[in-house]
Amino acid sequence: MNYAQNRLHEKLRTVFETAGYRRYKMSKFEEYDLYAKNKDFLVSENVLTFTDLDGRLMALKPDVTLSIVKNSAAEGVEKVYYHENVYRASNGSLGFREIAQAGLECIGDVDEYCVCEVLGLAAKSLSAISDSHELDVSHLGILCELTDRAGLDAGAKKELLRLFGEKNTGELKKLLERESVAVDCAERLIKLSQLDADTKDAAKVLRPLLSGYVSEDALELFLSTCDFLGEEFPGSVRVDFSAVGDIGYYSGIYFVGYVGGVPSGVLSGGQYGGLMKKLGKPSRAIGFAICLDLVDPLFSKAEAFDADVLLVYHDADAKTVYKIASKLSGGKRSVLSLREAPEGMRFGEVYNIVGGEAVRER
Amino acid sequence: MNGDMINVALPKGRLGDNVYDLFAAAGYRCPEIENPGRRLTFENPDVGIRYFWVKPSDVAIYVEKGAADIGVAGKDILLEYSPDVYELLDVGLGRCRMAVAAPKDFRDDTRKTLRVATKFPNIAKRHYSSIGRDIDIIKLNGSIELAPILGLSDVIVDIVETGATLKQNNLEVFSTLFDISARLIANKASYRFKRGEIQKIKDSLQEAIR
Repeated sequence: MNYAQNRLHEKLRTVFETAGYRRYKMSKFEEYDLYAKNKDFLVSENVLTFTDLDGRLMALKPDVTLSIVKNSAAEGVEKVYYHENVYRASNGSLGFREIAQAGLECIGDVDEYCVCEVLGLAAKSLSAISDSHELDVSHLGILCELTDRAGLDAGAKKELLRLFGEKNTGELKKLLERESVAVDCAERLIKLSQLDADTKDAAKVLRPLLSGYVSEDALELFLSTCDFLGEEFPGSVRVDFSAVGDIGYYSGIYFVGYVGGVPSGVLSGGQYGGLMKKLGKPSRAIGFAICLDLVDPLFSKAEAFDADVLLVYHDADAKTVYKIASKLSGGKRSVLSLREAPEGMRFGEVYNIVGGEAVRER
Repeated sequence: MNGDMINVALPKGRLGDNVYDLFAAAGYRCPEIENPGRRLTFENPDVGIRYFWVKPSDVAIYVEKGAADIGVAGKDILLEYSPDVYELLDVGLGRCRMAVAAPKDFRDDTRKTLRVATKFPNIAKRHYSSIGRDIDIIKLNGSIELAPILGLSDVIVDIVETGATLKQNNLEVFSTLFDISARLIANKASYRFKRGEIQKIKDSLQEAIR
């Protein structure tokens, strides 16, 4: 990990800790049973397993949320963040990979403030990664209410969500026709699939579109959250219903974050009431995860060099070399100190110690 | 992703030529591409567009990984590889269908595992799984029609345009799985950060199709 990546991890930690979230450090292993029962929640069904010394089938964690939720307290609100490695076969790769993730979970008596706080922290995390960023917010509960009203069965609903995720209006129109969905409902679903609006305009767009078609409470709560986001994070959070997750697990707000220079979403999360229910937890929850591996290439420019500075110390004594190396580094730059300049390595700057002083090579 | 230009992955071949003609008609002409020489990328800074030709089955990968902001790929490729991209528009070119074909005298003996030769194993698996039929996939890369003739498979799952090749080889279509045409696809992050330009291209193409 280079300095830039280290700095990013430090910035994310600060974002989480200043909101009162405490670090949740966990074991690398978990009983396989937890993942076998909740395969749909995982990005990939493939899990690395092994038999422990006591005969239990264990798994290297493919996901962090499940473990945190399983061990969450029954009362109050628990606010935790993590920075862990998970192990899974990612989409398109030919084998298992170790993937670095950071994220947070807010579990328990989650109220409107908690939801706003988590969305705010997601926006701040994206901002810590890059100035060029966008958070897209949708509401799966509202979308499901509308699809229920349209009379879609489970299969058609799954297909509809896929088409929403693809912004595939053409195929969506065909599906709604095939399923004989009432014209007014179909029109609303099509408009919702095309929606891509600034959060400050959410009420103006969504109220006429959804009022009377979905629960007023859910709609107003969502609009109030959008209002907060539009005010606190102007221009960087949008309402876009192509942000969709598994409706078996996510039941309310769902969001995906993008940063410039990374071709896919780097952050995703939402209110996972469905998962809580499946795990027999009576409380509510919201959280998100950032895939740090996707973000790393943004900071690889700093690795154009093997080290920021090469210090060639020749015959200088250890104390002198140590002092000069510390001064050159200043705790910020990487300094490689060697007796002779190595072959085949590149450095931002090269210094030689001559007569007890560092002399920079031109 | 590269600068402010919109990078467009075009599928090599006849479909790609037609797709470029459509882009040109929509206002995104690129004189360089009409006199290609040995260059691999072609750009017209005046309209902010850069084209490159790739193998048709690779268009979706270029777009998904962000090397191209947008591209045009067949629906067959999108259904086979399920790339994580936006599918913005049916450009209406390259119309054909995905079908199950077999020798004219074929009768499906449901007591046996059905042997299916195809270039599209995921599409074939999904289709037969949806009807609960046990199959054995034989993945081929070309000359699929040969498989049932030589007894390598019972049926094939393949693209059918006019049906002439099937007819010449004494095969016929038994069922159509879905219609195929070329689609305008976009990278999800590019869509966020080049929203205006991509939307403008989509609207212009839509207008040109009419």
